[in-house]
Amino acid sequence: MTTRPNRLRLILRDLGTAAAFSSMAVSGQVPVWALALVIVAVLVSLMGFHPFARAPRLTAILLVPLAGALYLAVAAGQMDLVVAACSFAGLVASQRLLSETSPTTDGQVLLAGLLMIAGGAALSGELLFAVCLLAFAVLASLSLGLAVVEAAVPPGEPVPVRHVLRPLSKGVLVAMAGAVAFFVLFPRLNWNVGVRRAAPGLGPATSGFSDTVRLGGSGTLKSNPRVVLRAKLTPDPGSQRLDAYWLGRTYDTFNGQEWSTIGAPSKRRRTRVTLRPGAEKQVYQRIELLPAYGARTLIAMETPSKLGNALMHTPTGDRRTQLQELGGDELRFVEEALGYSYEVYSVPPGTDTDPGKLAQKELDQLLSLPENIDPRIEELAHQVVGNETDPLAAAQKLSNWLQREYTYTLELGGDVADPLMEFLFVRKAGHCEHFATALTLMLRTQGFEARLATGFFGGERVGDEYLVRAGDAHAWTHVLVPGRGFVTVDATPPAFRANQSLELLESLISLYEAIEGMWRSSVVDYSFRDQMNFLRDMSRPPRNEPGKERTQLPPLRAWLTAAMAGAAVYWTWRYLSRRKARAPVLEATRFVDSVERQLAAAGVRAGDGETLEDVSARLTRDAHPLAPAVSPLTRRYLEARFGQRPLQPGESARLLKELKHSVEVHKQQQQTPRARAS
Amino acid sequence: MNSPARAINPLPSPATARAALERVAANLSLAVQGKDKEVRLAVTCVVAGGHLLLEDVPGVGKTTLVEALARSFDLSFSRVQFTADLMPADILGAQVFHAQTATFSFRPGPLFRQLVLADELNRAPPRTQSALLEAMAQGQVSLDGATHALPRPFTVVATQNPVDFSGTYPLPDSQLDRFLMRLSLGHPSPEVEARLLTTRDASSPVEALKAVTSPEELTELRAQVAAQRLDDTVAEYIVRLAQATRAHGDIERGASTRAVLALGMAARAHALWESRDFVTPGDVRAVLAPCLAHRLLLRSANQGAYTRDEATHLIEEVARKVVAPR
Repeated sequence: MTTRPNRLRLILRDLGTAAAFSSMAVSGQVPVWALALVIVAVLVSLMGFHPFARAPRLTAILLVPLAGALYLAVAAGQMDLVVAACSFAGLVASQRLLSETSPTTDGQVLLAGLLMIAGGAALSGELLFAVCLLAFAVLASLSLGLAVVEAAVPPGEPVPVRHVLRPLSKGVLVAMAGAVAFFVLFPRLNWNVGVRRAAPGLGPATSGFSDTVRLGGSGTLKSNPRVVLRAKLTPDPGSQRLDAYWLGRTYDTFNGQEWSTIGAPSKRRRTRVTLRPGAEKQVYQRIELLPAYGARTLIAMETPSKLGNALMHTPTGDRRTQLQELGGDELRFVEEALGYSYEVYSVPPGTDTDPGKLAQKELDQLLSLPENIDPRIEELAHQVVGNETDPLAAAQKLSNWLQREYTYTLELGGDVADPLMEFLFVRKAGHCEHFATALTLMLRTQGFEARLATGFFGGERVGDEYLVRAGDAHAWTHVLVPGRGFVTVDATPPAFRANQSLELLESLISLYEAIEGMWRSSVVDYSFRDQMNFLRDMSRPPRNEPGKERTQLPPLRAWLTAAMAGAAVYWTWRYLSRRKARAPVLEATRFVDSVERQLAAAGVRAGDGETLEDVSARLTRDAHPLAPAVSPLTRRYLEARFGQRPLQPGESARLLKELKHSVEVHKQQQQTPRARAS
Repeated sequence: MNSPARAINPLPSPATARAALERVAANLSLAVQGKDKEVRLAVTCVVAGGHLLLEDVPGVGKTTLVEALARSFDLSFSRVQFTADLMPADILGAQVFHAQTATFSFRPGPLFRQLVLADELNRAPPRTQSALLEAMAQGQVSLDGATHALPRPFTVVATQNPVDFSGTYPLPDSQLDRFLMRLSLGHPSPEVEARLLTTRDASSPVEALKAVTSPEELTELRAQVAAQRLDDTVAEYIVRLAQATRAHGDIERGASTRAVLALGMAARAHALWESRDFVTPGDVRAVLAPCLAHRLLLRSANQGAYTRDEATHLIEEVARKVVAPR
């Protein structure tokens, strides 16, 4: 009778393989056909079919053309070598999944799974990878454990799955805890230097700043709730919603289709940049740009005066970085990194500001209009503005008129020849860029200097910080008011300035970002230095604070940790000593194992299903020379095991010694007649 | 509370119990020669407080064994030959009318003995069989609204002829379950038969047997059996064995819960042979086949004489497969 493989074991194995493959697939780099093949293989195996079981070697040949295809792709430069290796591991695992269902195959499948996990770490190493890794570890451990149990059960007997799962799960938990302890404490090299990060977090970064703003396209950005920026403000405004404009850059030239800047980038690189003199009351911001931001442009609350002290966050740690000035008041980090943090001083809204260093050419550009601008726009603007000469009042009039007469929509019909005309006269609906462009150009037709500004609008309080999401991306208008500098006027209806995403989605994404951040900082970028810091923080005396007595004693947390470690040791000891109370049974079992080994050495072997009790009875029946030695020993074992009269300390050693002696005497007696015969 | 009684009448030590058992076995061997194993199992069964089913062809010493048991334990004994016309009243007893006093009084039947041999039990009609089996289970007889207690200790040994089934009423499985063990003596070995021919004189060897123990001691032995320690792992082993018979492909109906209890009782009694006060897996295996073979319903079509060997064979297979605690 062939034993049927345990179904649960196979399911766990298949799911584990799927998790291992997913750990690579989340990077999005595995070719689609490999993905499809592996998914099909896993599904077929999960349904209980193993079509390759009859010819595992023959079907292994199938892997050769697949390997060839991968090699060609690498040779042609279409695929990375690492990706190809990862894909091949997935294909090998699939072939094994569909083959015969022996524990050996399980081992091969799980080994391939381990390779895939390593591949996944090389390809992405992001939070979803962590989830896959965890799933693989748990599923593979359970499957392996079941395989071991299954191998120990005699053929035909049912595998005691229910009884085994609990201790197995406990074992897996202990193993995980051990892995964490190992991770935290074992000296760690910065192996993740070579990690290639495709993109941080949930797909690619979202709201890059480009050199131009093109009207048209659709507005998915507005509904994206990913957090791109975190800021801590001093003084703290304290409000839940911060309706602030976060300026990224400005544009002064519109060609009818898109905005650009004529200002030339400055070659100089500096650690601190002063854009304009500060005012009496300034808002200090400590800003962190998160990986989801995905651009190098600095963001600051309007109106920034000084920026600097920038740190960039890279996989190998934090480093200082320099800033470079570009046209349109834009500041960029010189180097590319996952995220940045920096400090900004801003002049609060409503304060007169210096317009900044503008060349005459740039000033002229604030009045420029597209060459083929439709005269109707000027007529329309004149109708609204009338004979107003104050730029701000004119801007307010136009802004109010736009908010009143036009509707906000994110549904846009793609590229059109003249998006501004389309907005003003045809659709009469658009998004923030349309509103801002319309206001800027209409002001310019009336002789008022204005420019387009882009960045973010909003700010949502979480803890003592403000979060800005990708969906908060916004565009508005700067009007140059003589003596007051640039003043912000926003033509977009107020309800649509900040992001438009669902609240539930927002909170879920916030949670994900928080976990992702923790994973990144405390696992992926956890380095030897962090370990050293961890140990040093544990043992260093507390910082000497004024008003407190100077102390050399380790801090409270060191005491707490020591207490916890002590408690852990105590509980372990208690657990082990309780186990000892049950030990007589186990000791008797160990004793009988030793006895049987010695008897086997003397040529007395237990038959199928024979216990020591049976062997002893058989020896007595056959008047075997060893019977007088084995019989009392057996009795003692039975008493200890089933009669609650445990073996005394040293007793088993003494009995075994006696048995050994008898066995040796028996052997000599056996050899003597043979010696005589020779 | 039976602790004061215990104090007055302490349980025999395992060594004393074993000595008693060995005495009985030696005594029985005088009458039934060359059947040490069966004799010991029969004594185990009686000491465990169970009823015994002897299944054998005629003339191999069934009756001799039972009579010898009665003499060795000094038990009051009766033999009832079960026939097709045997009525319940014939074994239980009846109300007898006394003409002088004009009253009825109960005249006990042959069942009111400490050891009853129900010879060829399967020849009696089911009514009579069930009357006997009820008495076996209850230890008392209910007749015309009155309850009459049977003497203690009370043991029934029934015999069956496994070959000649014509004109018999085979015992239903539920009633077979009431017998703790089923044994068959089988033909003695040629040497023993030859010795019987040469040494056996006119007088029956049974008549020469003397009592080697007493009914009181038997009661004490039974108390000792009940007090034997059964380790959890051994209890679990018994249950696993029973479950294995239930799960076995060739067995239609495996061991019942009553069978599990019987196995425990018989194993406890068997431990006395090694003067132990605890049960080992070896004890369980020693009584496994006698305790279980007659309770299993096999899937094979042949439900007659040969199933006994087949059942024993299957049980041995099960015992090999189920891993004993170590």
